[in-house]
Amino acid sequence: MSDATKISKSLDLKGLACPMPVVKISKGIKEVAVGEILEAHTTDPGSLTDIPAWGRTTGHEIVDASQDGENIRFLIRRTS
Amino acid sequence: MTLGSFTAAEMFTWLVNQEDFLLLDVRNDEEFGRFKVEGPHPIEMLNVPYMEFIEMEAESVAKIPRDKKVRIVCAKEGSSKFVGEILVNHGFADVAHLTVGIKSWGNLLAPASIVQSEAYDLIQFRRPGKASCSYGLVSGGEMALFDPAKNIDAYLDFAREQGSRLTKSFETHRQADYISGSEGLHRRVGAEIVAPEGDFKEAVFPYTPARHGDRHRLGSGGPEIEVIHTPGHTPGSTCYRIDGRYLITGDTVFIQSIGRPDLGGMAEAWSRMLFTTMTTILSDLPPETIILPGHYMDWEEADENLIFAAPMAAIRERNADIYAIDNPVDFYAFIKSNLRPQPEEYAKIREINAGLVQVDADQQEIMDIGKNECAASLRAVS
Repeated sequence: MSDATKISKSLDLKGLACPMPVVKISKGIKEVAVGEILEAHTTDPGSLTDIPAWGRTTGHEIVDASQDGENIRFLIRRTS
Repeated sequence: MTLGSFTAAEMFTWLVNQEDFLLLDVRNDEEFGRFKVEGPHPIEMLNVPYMEFIEMEAESVAKIPRDKKVRIVCAKEGSSKFVGEILVNHGFADVAHLTVGIKSWGNLLAPASIVQSEAYDLIQFRRPGKASCSYGLVSGGEMALFDPAKNIDAYLDFAREQGSRLTKSFETHRQADYISGSEGLHRRVGAEIVAPEGDFKEAVFPYTPARHGDRHRLGSGGPEIEVIHTPGHTPGSTCYRIDGRYLITGDTVFIQSIGRPDLGGMAEAWSRMLFTTMTTILSDLPPETIILPGHYMDWEEADENLIFAAPMAAIRERNADIYAIDNPVDFYAFIKSNLRPQPEEYAKIREINAGLVQVDADQQEIMDIGKNECAASLRAVS
């Protein structure tokens, strides 16, 4: 795995309802360095559109969003 | 100050009474763009997504006028509470959030009386979150529904208050835009489903076929319910005429526009069927027939009592451009010029409405939310 996709930190947000996944991701992204990746696992279907919307608000890049049953996984790169 | 709460039914009353408040929708911009609260009068509404309150609290709070009552909605209640607490902490005097979330608005049914007589009562259940209408006929201690939504508890409560038993559920056609309550009512209280075979052939639940010319009755002295086959929106599409005067049209006749015949992927064939229906059965209707549609596009179609009902003559006049078309080729050209994609969940909803697939309650909520897309004419951009 190259440095570009290396996960620096991972958050287990399964079972949390909005607004908590975004609250935790907002905090978690500040704990990785600029350019690094934060991984987040959620189960709230609302996060499928909420986390990309949060990315548009903050400018952080949603590198990947994947869904397996009720489990949703995001890879987010801190951009600033 | 503490954060208050309100229900979808309370919000509907405020919208009807034009009360002065700010509706703050804190869902993300994509969800807000897909589906927002609509009412009979203009609404003072702001969309400031909750993630903006998380990231830029001061700037977001500054967007909210301080001299207004603030009423907050979100998807599931958590975020509206979260934002409400922030506003209360910033000294806002009158803040409340919608309990349950936007789905309770999507499911809300608001009954209004169309006619109340000794022999029967006819009720329109307006569903402001879907822009759709279902109907109830009460007579002799029985109640029948027409095109019920999946919020069956609302109908059962209504029947109980009337001292009636819910015995029949009529379907005008197999809906694509919302999940029907008929099967649930059959399971819960044994209501007889009456539905057109043309749309329900593959249904896995028992139903009585609605055949053109059949006459149904409720109770002892109730009015006649006459079955009139009006294919076009779907091949099975059927209208029910009550007491010879009120025509429940489903998605065949609307107050504005007409039901789109392209949802089944056979736009040309179905538009030909619809043209035949329009130029035969519909044109033979007595002009004073009161049309009771399954949907509306805009609240301005409602009458002074906020009921969606109009005489056929008025509908012909209002939609003169459509009803004046005198051949199927031009009619199909009109349909084609208004074609637009249908929401992707419609195919799945059609399967659910025949009992062919089962999906859990949460999934149903997600699929069932949002305004209908059933009229042939393009919606005016507001």
